[in-house]
Amino acid sequence: MNTSATTTDETRIPAFAAERGRRNVSRIVWMPLLLLALLLAGCSANGIAQGMSEDGRLRITATTGMVADAAREIGGEHVEVTTLMGPGVDPHLFKASQGDIRKLDRAAIIFYGGLHLEGNMTRILEKMAAQKPVVAVTEQMPRDRLIGTGEGESGEYDPHVWFDVQLWTSAAKTVQETLMREDPANAERYREQGERYLNELEELHRYVQNRMDEIPQEGRVLVTAHDAFGYFGRAYGVEVVGLQGISTAAEFGARDVSTLRDYLVERGIRAVFVESSLPARSMQAIVAGAAQRGHEVAIGGELFSDAMGEPGTDEGTYIGMVKHNADTIAEALR
Amino acid sequence: MMDFWIILTAVLVASACSILGCFLILRRMALVGDAISHAVLPGIAIAFLMSGTRDSMWMLLGATVFGLLTVFLIQTLQTSGLQSDASIGIVFTALFAVGVLLISLNAQHIDLDLDCVLFGEIAYVPWDTWTLGGAEMGPRAVSMLGITLTVILLLLGLFYKQFKICAFDPAMAAACGIPVLLFHYLLMGMVSMTAVSSFESVGAILVVGMLIIPAATAYLLTHRLGMMIGLSVAVGIVSAVSGYLVSYLLDASIAGCIVSVAGILFVLALLFSPSGGLIAKFARRQSAARSA
Repeated sequence: MNTSATTTDETRIPAFAAERGRRNVSRIVWMPLLLLALLLAGCSANGIAQGMSEDGRLRITATTGMVADAAREIGGEHVEVTTLMGPGVDPHLFKASQGDIRKLDRAAIIFYGGLHLEGNMTRILEKMAAQKPVVAVTEQMPRDRLIGTGEGESGEYDPHVWFDVQLWTSAAKTVQETLMREDPANAERYREQGERYLNELEELHRYVQNRMDEIPQEGRVLVTAHDAFGYFGRAYGVEVVGLQGISTAAEFGARDVSTLRDYLVERGIRAVFVESSLPARSMQAIVAGAAQRGHEVAIGGELFSDAMGEPGTDEGTYIGMVKHNADTIAEALR
Repeated sequence: MMDFWIILTAVLVASACSILGCFLILRRMALVGDAISHAVLPGIAIAFLMSGTRDSMWMLLGATVFGLLTVFLIQTLQTSGLQSDASIGIVFTALFAVGVLLISLNAQHIDLDLDCVLFGEIAYVPWDTWTLGGAEMGPRAVSMLGITLTVILLLLGLFYKQFKICAFDPAMAAACGIPVLLFHYLLMGMVSMTAVSSFESVGAILVVGMLIIPAATAYLLTHRLGMMIGLSVAVGIVSAVSGYLVSYLLDASIAGCIVSVAGILFVLALLFSPSGGLIAKFARRQSAARSA
C-alpha cells in the first residue's frame, strides 16, 4: 500500500505539502461557486408572475385533498386549485418535492388543515403567513368542540376534524370568507357557491346520520388502525377503537394487538376496517388472532382517513369520500 | 430567491459535512452521523417531558445534549479498546431504544417522532426566516449553518497539524506531546454540533450522506489530507448544486437528488480514478500480463 508512505512523507514535511495542497484546494472550491452563480442567474430569469394563472384565475394551493375540495367547490371557475398531498398520502409524513415548494411559492392563497395535521410543515406555513394569505381552515372552529389529546398543555387537538361533517362546515365557511376578502371582485360568486356547498354539507350530515342509525345500537363499534375517527364517532354516536396512537408514525406494541383482539372477541364485533393511507398488515394480524380464538371477524372494507380517493372518482371529492366511509361502515356492521 | 436560499443552504451543509467527513473516514467512524441521527431521540423525549411543548428550541437543545453525549460515549468506548464500528453500533441502538421506551411510556398520544419534531426539510428553508431587532436576517438555517462552518474552519485552521497527526497516527501524536484525546473529543464535538444543527435545518439523509460520500470519493482520488479535504468539499458542492438542478427537472425530493448525485460521483471516481480506479487497475493488469 502506498497510503502510509505518502502520508508519512506529508507528516514529515507538513509545511511543503500543506502549501501545495492549499493552492489546489482554492481552485477546486472556486470553480463550482462560479458555476453556482451562473446557474442562479439562469434560475431567476425564468421566474413566473406570482398569484395568477395564465388565464387570470386565482392560484390556490391546498395541503390535503379535503381542503382543496372546499376551495374548488366554492372558488369555482375563478380559481385554479393545486393539491400538495395526493391520494394515499399521509399528511404527517409528507415530504415536499421541488415542484411542491414551487406550488407554495406561486400561490396567491394557501389553505391548510392546521391543528398540527401537516407535521413539521406547520411551522413553515405559519411563517409564510407573513408574506401572503396562509389560512388554516380549522382556525375558526370553536375550541370547545375540538377533541383534546390529553397531553401537553400547549393546546394539542386531534386534527382529523373533517369526519364531523357539521364541524367541517366551519372550514368551508373559512375558505369562503378568505376568498371573498382576497378577491372582492368575485365576492358575490363566492357567496353563492359557498351557500350551495354548505347546503350540500348539511345534506351529507343527515345522510351519514341516517346510515349510522341503520346499525343496531350495540353493534356501533368502529375498529380501525389509527385514531382518525374520533370526531366521526362523537358526531354520529359510534364507539371508536383504534390500534395505534394519534400519529401514524408511533409504533404499536404487542399488548395493543392482544388487547384489541380480546376486545373484539368479548364484544362479538363482526368487522374491522383498514385505511387507505396506512398498510393493512396490523389489522390483518388482529383478524388472524381473533380467528385463533374461534371468533370470526371480517375486514369490513377500506376507509379513507387522511387522504381522499383518486381524482375523477366519486371518492376523489370530500362528499364522495365521506359517503363511501359511511356506506362501508353501515354495510359491514348492519 | 427561493432557489438561491436552498442552494446556499445545501452548499453550506455539504461544505461543513465534507470537511469533517474526511477525518471521520480516516478514523473509520463514517457512520457516526447516522448514529447521532437516531441517538438524539431520548433527548427529544426528555426535552418534551420537561417543557411540555414541541417547540423547536427545546427540541434542538435536547438533541444537542444527546448528540454530544452520543459522541462522548462512542469515543470513550473506543478509547477503552472496543472497535469503532462496535462502539458506534452499541451507543446508538441503546440510546435509540431508550428514546422509544420513554415515548411509549410517557407520551404515547403525542406525535413525537424525529421526522416531525426535529428533522427539518431543505425545501422549507427559504420561508423559515428570523429577525433581529426588526431587521430581516434571511433563513435561520443559513445563519446557523454559516456559524457552524465558520467554527469548523476556525478550529481546523488553528489546529490543522494537530488534527492531521491525530487522525493518521495517534501514537506519534502522543509522542509529540499533542493531547490526542482532547483533539478526538474536539473533532467529535464538532461532528455532533454540525450533525444536529444540520438535521434541524435540512433533515437526516442529506447530512448522513454528505458526511460520508464526498469524503469517500475524495479518498479514492488522493491520499494527501489537504487535497482530500479540497476534493471532498468540491464533490459536496457539485452534488448540492447539480442535485438541486436534477430535483427541479424531475420534480423530486431535493435531499434525495443531492445525495443521489453524490452517489453517482462516487461511482465515477470508483471507476475512473487514475490511481486506484477499477479501470486503471484493469488496464495495469492487462499491460502487466502483456509484458510478462
